[in-house]
Amino acid sequence: MPDFTVRSDSVNVEQIMEQIRARIREKRGVDYTEDQIRELAAVKLEKFLDPRGVRSDLLEEFRRTQAARTPPAPPNYAFGEETLFETHRAPLRFLRRLLNPILKLFFNPNPLIQALHIQAELNTLNAQRETERRGLDQLHFEVLHNLVLETTRMSIEITNLKMRVESLTGRLEFNERRARALESVVAYRPAVADRVEPSPRAVPSQPTGAPPPAPPAGGSPSTISGMPEGPGQRSRRRRRRRGRRGGGSAAAVMGSAVPATGGSTPEPMPSASAASPAAGTDNSSEPAEAGADDPTPSEPSGEQ
Amino acid sequence: MKVAVVAQRYGQAINGGAELHARYIAEHLARHVTVEVLTTCATDYVTWRNELPEGLEQVNGVTVRRFRVARERDPLAFAQLSKRVFDEQHSIADELAWLDAEGPTSRALVKHIGRHARDIDYFIFFSYRYYHAYHGVWAADRRAILVPTAERDAAIGLSIFRPVFRSARALMYNSPEERAMIQAAAGNEDVPSVVVGVGSDVPPNLQPGRIRQKYGIHGPFAIYVGRIDENKGCKELFAFFETYLRESAGRLSLVLVGNSLLPIPTHPRIRHLGFLDDADKFDAIAASELLIMPSYFESLSMVALEAWALGRPVLANGRCDVLKGQSIRSNAGLYYENEREFVETLRALEQNRWLTGSLGKNGRHFFREHYDWPVIERKYVDMLERLSKEESGGSRAVDALPGWFARRRRDCRAGSEVAASLPAGPCRLAPSARPDTRELGPDESHDVAAKPAAAPPVQGRHQRGRFRGRRGSYRPRGGPAGHRGSR
Repeated sequence: MPDFTVRSDSVNVEQIMEQIRARIREKRGVDYTEDQIRELAAVKLEKFLDPRGVRSDLLEEFRRTQAARTPPAPPNYAFGEETLFETHRAPLRFLRRLLNPILKLFFNPNPLIQALHIQAELNTLNAQRETERRGLDQLHFEVLHNLVLETTRMSIEITNLKMRVESLTGRLEFNERRARALESVVAYRPAVADRVEPSPRAVPSQPTGAPPPAPPAGGSPSTISGMPEGPGQRSRRRRRRRGRRGGGSAAAVMGSAVPATGGSTPEPMPSASAASPAAGTDNSSEPAEAGADDPTPSEPSGEQ
Repeated sequence: MKVAVVAQRYGQAINGGAELHARYIAEHLARHVTVEVLTTCATDYVTWRNELPEGLEQVNGVTVRRFRVARERDPLAFAQLSKRVFDEQHSIADELAWLDAEGPTSRALVKHIGRHARDIDYFIFFSYRYYHAYHGVWAADRRAILVPTAERDAAIGLSIFRPVFRSARALMYNSPEERAMIQAAAGNEDVPSVVVGVGSDVPPNLQPGRIRQKYGIHGPFAIYVGRIDENKGCKELFAFFETYLRESAGRLSLVLVGNSLLPIPTHPRIRHLGFLDDADKFDAIAASELLIMPSYFESLSMVALEAWALGRPVLANGRCDVLKGQSIRSNAGLYYENEREFVETLRALEQNRWLTGSLGKNGRHFFREHYDWPVIERKYVDMLERLSKEESGGSRAVDALPGWFARRRRDCRAGSEVAASLPAGPCRLAPSARPDTRELGPDESHDVAAKPAAAPPVQGRHQRGRFRGRRGSYRPRGGPAGHRGSR
């Protein structure tokens, strides 16, 4: 949890809420409102993204269906000025023409004729547009089909990537566990080795004629100021020391021969024989312990 | 001075927010003036069935006069009318029909108020949205003091209530947010008003350990007190708390106190204690780490005030302006507006004891300063004294109902639409301790989240004056005081 800048008498709720919201933004990455998130969640992509739902013969199927369902052209008519009065009977035509002025006394047929004429033209135009639209439909559907395909492909790719991320996460976790296990093994094994058989390199570092270090009766051979010490304590101390060295590389931490002291000047790894109490002021007991921890020169101890 | 408190229900066993509020006020005012309570025989706010005897009764030393409700509520008709007036374009006649359907339709109560209007100095009406308050304010004839207990719901957008807010002699608001909302809706800035609220009687010797022992509660817990209902935000609370349980390594449990109308999730860290008496309730709040208030609509949360009185912080629903405003003004609670904020605020309160302690301390201070009984009583008494010194009836014209045809013209906007267009947001300044007609202008005090560009929708044919200014402040067009027109 964030450390709130709260003082007893000056709690500012709005300030605290700002801090909390900032933290949420950091975690989430993008500052969506709750409504936006709900809206996004409500969009049903699965329908389109399900690869099983995509048919490879979709376009052909569509074309076939369209061809089968092509409706006949809508009926139309031609409407001219004389259409209303036309007839194949000549006398009747003559009579109509004769009586036309009388008819116009009752109503004016001209607007009617005009409207029907325009309508006929509109019908023709509409039929043309319908034909064009059908042609465009084919294109639209093709585009849609391609989009679906691409989206499906992307969906599959996303799934694959997710799986890869999961796999990598698993490996990473495994490696972390392994590293931790190795550290504890390294911390523990020297103690055993130390107790069973002292390091051949540690022996020369002892004063001549001094007896080899004998394991104390308490169990753990390694002691600081006579106090028994467990492997956990030792690994903790190692981690502290690693921190003090200011970010040495992982290789250096895990056993490189050239660690970075203070982050700048490379120094040779202090061997058990080279170690002296003057190596550090606050960890004067470490060299002796390092000697005890390093049974063999080749074994990575993590103790540089 | 003789004062009548008028409430829709009244009694010791009635625990509704406004009704409890009315009882507390009546009992505390009785120390200063002669108080009589006028109410109905109903105890159930859904049916308004007459369950208590008509006539006089004494409740905690206060005289209570009960009147019969003429008819019970028809839920179907009420629902249909609610839909019409809240969601559709409608007429004033529809709104009046809705009010009748809502009830409690006690004509005897309204008649009594009309007959005795001159015998009683002031009538204090609780809850603007009920039949008794609407008709009672008219009948009381310039002696009506209204405690609106208004929430931000669609009812505030109905046009029949605007003249009620403008015609009352004074308004006693529960919060600055409520006042700003009503003033924006009704344009009644010139009506004397004060933000009062209500106090609480916290028992002196609390025993938090006793409640833990009694119910076997172990470990830290957050508490919710109230009706466990979807309308109170409890469904959302359950969902959010389950997320907290999944995502957080915290140890908080959730303890629920109150009658449940919802299925409660089965989880070892969610406990339902049922309805508790006051002693147990206070013990439980005192034993808790914090109180959660998930409600969207509150005029004033008495439980939140009680938690603050006990030095407990509150985690409130930030989408309720009143709760958010109270949290900000008191600096005694956090608020959330979504799931993530709920989890993070709860985690912050759980893990940061320093924060919890400081918020609790502020809450106690806030309660003492604004909601302790002497403060509340003083505000009421000051207002009564001030009104009695004023000229009788003030100088404002009272709006009249329109004529028969105008009432049936369907030109009223949907209530929810009007309510949504009202300015929203918490008020940041603490309520003043002194009554005033304009303690704080809404412009000065409000963080207006949805301020309408033009004048607020104070419309309707009740209006006899004209509106000036972008806030729609009402200026009566002169005329003698107390004009009611024809009703």
